[in-house]
Amino acid sequence: MFKLSDEGLKYVKNELTRYEVKQSAIIRCLYRAQDENGGWVSPDVISHLSAVMEIPSAQIEEVATFYTMFNKTPVGKNHIQVCVTLTCGMLGGRELCDSMMKEAGCKKTGDVSPDGLFTFSKVECLGSCDTAPMIQINRDPYTENLNTEKGLELVRKLRTAGGAGASGKGH
Amino acid sequence: MAEIKYLSEHYAKPEYQTLDGYKKFGGYEMLAKALKMEPQKIIDEVKASGLRGRGGAGFATGVKWGFLPNNGEPRYLLCNADESEPGTFKDRVMMERAPHQLIEGMLISAFAIKSNKAYIYIRGEYMGPAAILEKAIAEAKAAGLIGKNILGAGFDCELDLYLGAGAYICGEETGMISSLEGLKGQPKLKPPFPAVQGYLRKPTIVNNVETLAAVVPIIRDGAAGYRKYGTEKSAGTKLFSISGNVNKPGTYEVPLGYPLMDLINIECGGLKPGRKLKAVVPGGSSAPVLTAEECKTATLDYECLAQLGSMLGSGAIIVIDDSNCMVDVLSTISHFYHHESCGQCTPCREGTGWMERIIHGIVHGHGSEGEVDLLLKIADNMKGRTICALSDAAALPVLSFVTKFRDEFEYFIREKKSKVRGGQIYAQISH
Amino acid sequence: MLKSVTSSGVAAPQATTGATSPQAKMVTISINGKEVEVKEGSTIIEAYYQSGLDIAHYCWHPGLSIAGVCRLCMVEIEGNPRLQIACNTTVVAGMKVNNSSAKVKDAVKWGLDFHLINHPLDCPICDQAGECGLQDQYMKYGQYDSEMGEQKVKKHKVVDLGPRVVLDSERCILCSRCVRFTDEVSKTHELGIFNRGDRAEIGTFEGKPLANNYSLNTVDICPVGALTSRDFRFRQRVWFLKNAETVCTGCSTGCNVKVYFNKEGLFRMKPVYNPNVNGHWMCDVGRDTYKFVNKEARLLEAKVVSSGKSQEMPAMELAKKLGATLRGHGTSAALVLTGSYSVEEYEAIVSYFKTDVGTKNIYHWINNPETFDSFDGLLFRGDKNPNTRGLLEVLKAQGISGSWKELVDGIGTGAIKTVVVAGPENQANFPDMKVKIAELSKVAKLVWLTSGKNAELDALTGDVALLPVKSYVEKAGSFVNHAGLRQQVDRVMTVVPGAVSLTELVDLMKEVGDAMTVKSTAATETVPAISANQIGQGRINNEFTLSRGVW
Repeated sequence: MFKLSDEGLKYVKNELTRYEVKQSAIIRCLYRAQDENGGWVSPDVISHLSAVMEIPSAQIEEVATFYTMFNKTPVGKNHIQVCVTLTCGMLGGRELCDSMMKEAGCKKTGDVSPDGLFTFSKVECLGSCDTAPMIQINRDPYTENLNTEKGLELVRKLRTAGGAGASGKGH
Repeated sequence: MAEIKYLSEHYAKPEYQTLDGYKKFGGYEMLAKALKMEPQKIIDEVKASGLRGRGGAGFATGVKWGFLPNNGEPRYLLCNADESEPGTFKDRVMMERAPHQLIEGMLISAFAIKSNKAYIYIRGEYMGPAAILEKAIAEAKAAGLIGKNILGAGFDCELDLYLGAGAYICGEETGMISSLEGLKGQPKLKPPFPAVQGYLRKPTIVNNVETLAAVVPIIRDGAAGYRKYGTEKSAGTKLFSISGNVNKPGTYEVPLGYPLMDLINIECGGLKPGRKLKAVVPGGSSAPVLTAEECKTATLDYECLAQLGSMLGSGAIIVIDDSNCMVDVLSTISHFYHHESCGQCTPCREGTGWMERIIHGIVHGHGSEGEVDLLLKIADNMKGRTICALSDAAALPVLSFVTKFRDEFEYFIREKKSKVRGGQIYAQISH
Repeated sequence: MLKSVTSSGVAAPQATTGATSPQAKMVTISINGKEVEVKEGSTIIEAYYQSGLDIAHYCWHPGLSIAGVCRLCMVEIEGNPRLQIACNTTVVAGMKVNNSSAKVKDAVKWGLDFHLINHPLDCPICDQAGECGLQDQYMKYGQYDSEMGEQKVKKHKVVDLGPRVVLDSERCILCSRCVRFTDEVSKTHELGIFNRGDRAEIGTFEGKPLANNYSLNTVDICPVGALTSRDFRFRQRVWFLKNAETVCTGCSTGCNVKVYFNKEGLFRMKPVYNPNVNGHWMCDVGRDTYKFVNKEARLLEAKVVSSGKSQEMPAMELAKKLGATLRGHGTSAALVLTGSYSVEEYEAIVSYFKTDVGTKNIYHWINNPETFDSFDGLLFRGDKNPNTRGLLEVLKAQGISGSWKELVDGIGTGAIKTVVVAGPENQANFPDMKVKIAELSKVAKLVWLTSGKNAELDALTGDVALLPVKSYVEKAGSFVNHAGLRQQVDRVMTVVPGAVSLTELVDLMKEVGDAMTVKSTAATETVPAISANQIGQGRINNEFTLSRGVW
């Protein structure tokens, strides 16, 4: 069963009083719990947060399933979110995603690669259209101005980095 | 005329991100000046400046502020930094390069509308800008610019950052308010409007990043000074996000009324050699597309683009050259709105999916006769029928793409391939 | 709001302050070209209802907050180019509204099509068929061929949301009524709408099922067949059922209800709107109060056990025998009353015992004294009898005040030789049933009047008589709820033809002593003095109940 770390609990308690109403803490607490749970919000994450935050689990689940940045299935160490909307779509975002997925060993979006390092998602406009096509890895600052070659190289680099992961930050 | 760095004067300087750097160029002097003014005088000045909301709707900022009821209830100022209209990225640039300019603009605005609590709602994907803003807020707090008795003027204002988590609809002001309240980001029924009952049912003003930042030079130069740029109905300068098939995509600041083709050809260095302009989406993905012919006379202001049946929107310009298949381009737009519909109102929830499935069918070579007209009918019946404008935003591109490039759609249905690219279309290539 | 009970008896409630109350300020507006007077401050949709005019809608419900999401209640307001939703627009004097123009009709037709494109259209196997909002509104406002030729979105089917409610997500039109109900009325928050766009589905979070005592209201207010009752589903097509209004006997709240029945018996109960009693709702426990009425649970014939021999006989025959025994029996006879019967029955039998039998040994059997005064804050009360208050008033008026201890002592000393028990109708609500049977069967002669079968009673071997009495749907009468509101109900149907009401029993018993008067007896139904539409006096005149039902 998922449980927040002591640090995490402290964080949640603090967030509960940060905004005018405690429900406003749900998003940040979900991020925190997702990070501590290996990058996804499992059902026991919801149950645990519901108990800690004293907010009905259905309400937390509503939030967790409404916003796309909460993963409802496990993801690889590097969750690569490729923008495919409009400009990125025009300039090769979809093709870039498919090539990188193939290189990483993922059959389709949402899969975790056999080595556990990668999951790909095609996401909607990330607000960096002048650097299309571009991606976001986990919740890091963006990786921009890509093409197929750079994309493949990035996958290889991340694989070499291996267990360490590309990102020190959360998913 | 050419690019004018009015708001973005110091954006190229890395030190401008920091409090000290910002102060070097006159930072927070306008806050000091404003705190000595009558709040109503600030509202009047903003009204007189002709500043209109830069998020998309283009509503007059000072007029919006004037809707607040005088009922003694606490008021909230919310900065909409959810920037998620496809094609738009100018707020991100602004927050990264000039976080203190936004904070200063917010503090002046909060003082003007008598609010003691302000939030910046930033989209969850903007972790980079969020970190920069959090640092800037901390700096400002430490310097006594946020909190109690700001600059000794007796004005208290708290300012905090709220993080979204991936939902376009949170850019709609009442969707944003729902999200800030810890709920799903579903827009609220209007009336009541946020100015009367917004965040936590209290009077609330929601303004875009660029709008709030523009309050700083309005205080500095006065309404008349601000009106030096732009047109009568579209005053001032505006940041435009330009992307797509141009040589130098990016964020450019030009006075409103600037010719669209000049921006494309001069500032953005034109199109790739050998390519011809086919179409431009002038105000973010929901703005009806303009044909190359229409672009010739288009100027970047609220009136001209409205006259052309489109809109200035968020100032996101997507340039589309003749190598693109308009059916394919529309498929990514329709996918977006289907994905982002919050699902409350039936016409939008069902209509966005229905349209996407039809377009998806067409690009996969399964289109059938009559679907072009069906798309138009569906889109027509999604317009003006829902709580918020997402349904309209989904319908407008379909209506304009299908109407203006009907031959491409009919060709695709008939021949099962793209008129422009043949079988070289994403949906038809196996990867 | 309700007048308290006076010493002289049961008071009628005061007039309601609801929508038809004369104090409400009225404004004149025009709907579809007709001038109508409606309450000031009403929304347009309420104005339609107040004027008895039809308007399409799914998500609006008078007992819930306004969601404004189905977008079906579109109206055209003169001077406004954009169609508006009637549920979120307040009337203004002089406003000209219509939902009959071609523009509105087309918008509503499209609104319906948007609702139907992802709906499975599985009416032949859907339990809601016959009372479905989608069917009804389609027949009224739609009637076209759908343009939808694409694949429908697949969602979850046959999901148990809780012990009583089953969900079919594909049929759901996401009107959010059920979610608003659990947020605003039951305040239990089990339901949510998960995911977004057309992937959205209602549901519960695992480990937190929809298990509150009001869960079946979500089935009532579901305008389609997405939420169905586990108890009722697949048992009957609704068009084979008749229905009638009565009062729930599950507790002392006295919720106004509709029972659905055919010649085989009762199948379900639904609440009927009464702002003075239950609003739009009723509890799940109350919904089960049809079960003990049906034949399987009933005592069908009278039974007399004497000297170890058991003999069945018609109730009428036993009644007459009893009359002969009891007449002039005096203080060695006693009567035990439970809160299950009508005021009229109490009056008849108490007066019979005082006058004809000649005893004031009349006792009130309280089933659950510990939790008697509890209340869940919404509708459900610890006094699980429909008419405790009516009984107490009758006893008071007749000067009866015996304590249970007196009765037990009387039986113990042999001073009391015959006890007649008007036993509980809903035996499940009497946890002390066994104890009381054991206690009372010590008397020389025990007569138990009961609508239901009971194994312990059947097993008694002394001098015992069991006599079948009518259940609440089989007789007319009035019940006084916890607040003193007297509610008159009509007979709905006959389940056990041989059963008698207490009033009829008294008439039969009296006949023996008064042979000159030939009275019609159990063969004739009691004709109610007041007609059934007076249930829940003060109910707003069907303001929110169009012919097609609550929604």
